Amino acid sequence: MSQMAPADTVPDLIRDYLTDHIPGSSGMVLENVQRIAVGWSHETWLFDARWREGGETRTAGYCLRRDPGNALLRHLSDLGDQFRVLKCLEPTALPTPKVFWYEGANSILGAPFLVMEKVPGTCPNPWGREGRRFYEEAATRGVLPASFTDALSTLHTIDWRAAGLDFLGVPTPGTPEFARREIAKWRDLIAVSGHGPEPLLTDLMCWLEDNAPRTDRLALVHGAYRTGNVLIHDDRVSAVLDWELQVIGDPMYDVAYVLSDLNREGSDLLSNLVPREMFYRRYEEATGLTIDEDACRYYALLYAMRSAAFWMSASGLYRDGRSDDIRLARTAWSVPVVLERAARDLGY
Amino acid sequence: MQPEDLLARFAKTLRSDIGPAVKAEYPRTQAFLGAVVLEKLATELRLSQAHARAAAADRAALRRDLGAMLGAAKAPASVSEAFAAMADGGDASLCRFIEALYASRDTLGAERFDAMLGRVRQDLRRAIDRRMEVAR
Repeated sequence: MSQMAPADTVPDLIRDYLTDHIPGSSGMVLENVQRIAVGWSHETWLFDARWREGGETRTAGYCLRRDPGNALLRHLSDLGDQFRVLKCLEPTALPTPKVFWYEGANSILGAPFLVMEKVPGTCPNPWGREGRRFYEEAATRGVLPASFTDALSTLHTIDWRAAGLDFLGVPTPGTPEFARREIAKWRDLIAVSGHGPEPLLTDLMCWLEDNAPRTDRLALVHGAYRTGNVLIHDDRVSAVLDWELQVIGDPMYDVAYVLSDLNREGSDLLSNLVPREMFYRRYEEATGLTIDEDACRYYALLYAMRSAAFWMSASGLYRDGRSDDIRLARTAWSVPVVLERAARDLGY
Repeated sequence: MQPEDLLARFAKTLRSDIGPAVKAEYPRTQAFLGAVVLEKLATELRLSQAHARAAAADRAALRRDLGAMLGAAKAPASVSEAFAAMADGGDASLCRFIEALYASRDTLGAERFDAMLGRVRQDLRRAIDRRMEVAR
């Protein structure tokens, strides 16, 4: 594997890359270069490009994501998949960033990367004080909660087959295959995390296998639909982000995530934003689906397994010396927290 | 000074003196998170002997009770074998026993399965409660 291009050389490398990939461009200049989301997932760079083309000055905002090689969930998702999914979603009604280029080889930035449009908007962190206040205030206005719900409804009513998304893998309808595929996926992440045996997690996984629900209706499922994973502009969702865990499966998997109290820090508002009654009414009207409470309770437990796997993987990156970010070391103590929660949900 | 007290002191220095003096956001966060990790380690170390004793006693009681349950009627070989392996007192063997229980659910019958799994879960509850003394 080639070495990652150092961060201070990346802007020049991107400039040269854009010059090569925008036909007829010259005098390429990058402005407002920002590197965000350091450490946890793919590196993200935002910048504005200005160039001359056909005697005119052109400008465009871009977002570049680079795989640092030790990103969380890298066993489950790669930038090539993200690029392909976003390309498939472009003609649909779902707000997503337009993608331009994907480079799977390491020859340019020392790691795979993709370039997409910089969509206007902000993404307040729902776990921080300021973010919580932002969402509480947006909740009182009512526009963003509706937009957040509508974006999920749009996602779940996309004709995913027509969009070309069946490459994600299609579970057999009317069987428990979807849930079992998810269990297997997260079990694999646990296995590679190097974490020691966890009897409570074993109980949870066995229970999940035994009680996997049948999935009758298939939809494109985001896999982590919540505030913090959507971009907001003018009080509306301007883009659904974080396409790392999407699958074709049970739409209740996303609904359960929205309903989860793990995503609302003690607030009565779903995802710190949406009144429960409003979410039910608006989502059911728009999708024609009835929210299945039993399925959502099951998926809440699947999320507990997922969270445990996620924290095991995160803390393992630090333990194995693949990351020096102490935030990852801290997550070792998040594992018992989610397992304790799972034990209560299982009735003990 | 005991090692756990030393770790707690390090944590206090990181939190009170080093972290606030760091201007850049990322290293400042690292300093505060470092303090959190050291505090957790200090608590873990302080409780480690008591927790180890309690865990060993709980696991011995679990083995005794499961042994009685399995002895009351014929059990599938996979469950008996997994139970025998639990003599090592480790978590890996308990995981295998839980898997064997679920895999033999139909053979065991609902009542016996629920009774044995329920007894295992008592042990799991106590174990997670101990870990939560550190984690919360």
